[in-house]
Amino acid sequence: MIKILVCVKSSAPADAPLVINDSGAWIERGFSHTEAVPGRYDELALEQALRLKDQISGVMVDAISCGPTREIRVLRRALGMGCDNAIHILTGEEGFVPAITTAYRLSSAIRSRSYDLILTGLMSEDMNQGIVGQMTAEFLGMPCLTSCVSISVDAERRLVMVERDIEGARRQKLEMNMPALATVQACVTPPRYPSLSKILRAVSMEIETIEADPVTVHDRGEILTRLTYPTRRRSVRFLEGPSRQKASELVSILRSRAILG
Amino acid sequence: MDNKVAVIVEHENSRVSPATLEAAAFAQELALITGSIISCVIVGGDALEISHQLAHELGITCEAVVVPGLSHYDGEAYRWALVTCFGELCPDWVCVAGTTQGLDLATGLAVRINAGCLANVEKMGEKDHRPVFSRSLFNGKVYGDFIIEPPAVLITQPGSFRYSQKSHDQKGHVQTIHLLDPPGNTRLISESRINDGDSGLSQASVIISAGRGIKSRENLALLKQAAGMFSRSSVAGSRPLCDDGWLPYNLQVGQTGAEVSPELYVACGISGAQQHLAGMRGSKFVVSINTDPNAPIFNESDIGIVDDFETFLNDFIEAAQDRS
Repeated sequence: MIKILVCVKSSAPADAPLVINDSGAWIERGFSHTEAVPGRYDELALEQALRLKDQISGVMVDAISCGPTREIRVLRRALGMGCDNAIHILTGEEGFVPAITTAYRLSSAIRSRSYDLILTGLMSEDMNQGIVGQMTAEFLGMPCLTSCVSISVDAERRLVMVERDIEGARRQKLEMNMPALATVQACVTPPRYPSLSKILRAVSMEIETIEADPVTVHDRGEILTRLTYPTRRRSVRFLEGPSRQKASELVSILRSRAILG
Repeated sequence: MDNKVAVIVEHENSRVSPATLEAAAFAQELALITGSIISCVIVGGDALEISHQLAHELGITCEAVVVPGLSHYDGEAYRWALVTCFGELCPDWVCVAGTTQGLDLATGLAVRINAGCLANVEKMGEKDHRPVFSRSLFNGKVYGDFIIEPPAVLITQPGSFRYSQKSHDQKGHVQTIHLLDPPGNTRLISESRINDGDSGLSQASVIISAGRGIKSRENLALLKQAAGMFSRSSVAGSRPLCDDGWLPYNLQVGQTGAEVSPELYVACGISGAQQHLAGMRGSKFVVSINTDPNAPIFNESDIGIVDDFETFLNDFIEAAQDRS
């Protein structure tokens, strides 16, 4: 039996509007809880884990999320995709949470559960840092490999084999001893859609809830003081009117610049 | 006692990576704000050679952590070596370039040395004699200002800080630590080049580039058709597209792909994440097509078109063919 855990987090749909709130230090949630979707890389991590479950007998895949109540929707989706169990570390807060706090909470919940392989997405859609996975591995004392584009396991030798891309258009093949953590950048197959039968099953499944203990928060004095909109590096001119009109205007502009013949 | 800033050096074949020199430039700025002394830390079998080279070039102290047999980057071994070195050095600020290796190495290191961590730092300012670090969030839609208590690990976004070679009269010197028997829970089996061969991206004067917003792989044909309207043109894409296998990696523009500077860059359905912008900022003229008027790509564009890219490109092709 190989036990795999996938760490997931909800995000806003990619085209959801984003507005800085009155405090100036966080955003208005421009999307409702019902619109929350797993982050793109988290979905790839789920697909990667479920592929292993399809390929090897005796693989169990669980999903875990750390955040407010909206994470339940993402966990249900993970169950709908085929995960066996879901764990929710319930936090009260909306707003900025330092990565190290999340990693600490995840590792505290994971430690006693003896997973062989933990997968996370390469990075979240909101903080875009790509650091929670490595921190979690460190708290758990596990080896960790990042930016993986393919993952396989050798249950007998208790090895995780990965491939990853690095700068200079190079691909590395590496292996590590289980238990281990890998962050997922890509997967051979696109994330599967939840199947109707699994969705129906997921509705009745219980999601284990753990209250995040505020006392155990691992804080390193990291504070987000202010949010601003990016400054324009170029003064963009938006073309107006229907598509055809904009298209002819662009053609004229490019011809006047001798870019288009 | 002075504060200390340490720069962790990424190197390969006895050469220091350009991104590390940028991180060193950032560290020098940080040292000025915080009144710190700065040193570089080099780990590996050939650490001594690189340390001498760097101490001479930068005029600062270099710590060579010599681990015989450690011929390539190994995150676990590097963290083990650095923790040993930091036991003596006790840096308040640790600066690392945010390459694939830097992100792999540094965040676990932060946990191990009980430090905070901030990734992808793009700018630094000062408020009340304290450094303020800025980085983009939400795929480039907003920027955040952060303060963080030392000790802290700061990971710089490649391309965000400039290194310029300065003449200096400090000699710089090298201190050496020898370590044996690194841990071996992760192992490099092989390394190969992917998609070897020149894609011609660097020679293209027009690049039509696709992001996730193009929605389907089939739509790449439309981009190719549009590229066909120009001479010396090429189709390219953002990293997620290449990760999904829609385009080969040698057509990827961005931090881990190609850095391009064509006469015209057309961004179709690209939101404008920092990692992509790093690869296309040098373009002479940028046209962006996106359904979201707030997409950060527009901040880097000369012409903005808020429309469905499919409809627009079809109209564009038609208009470009019309010579009347």
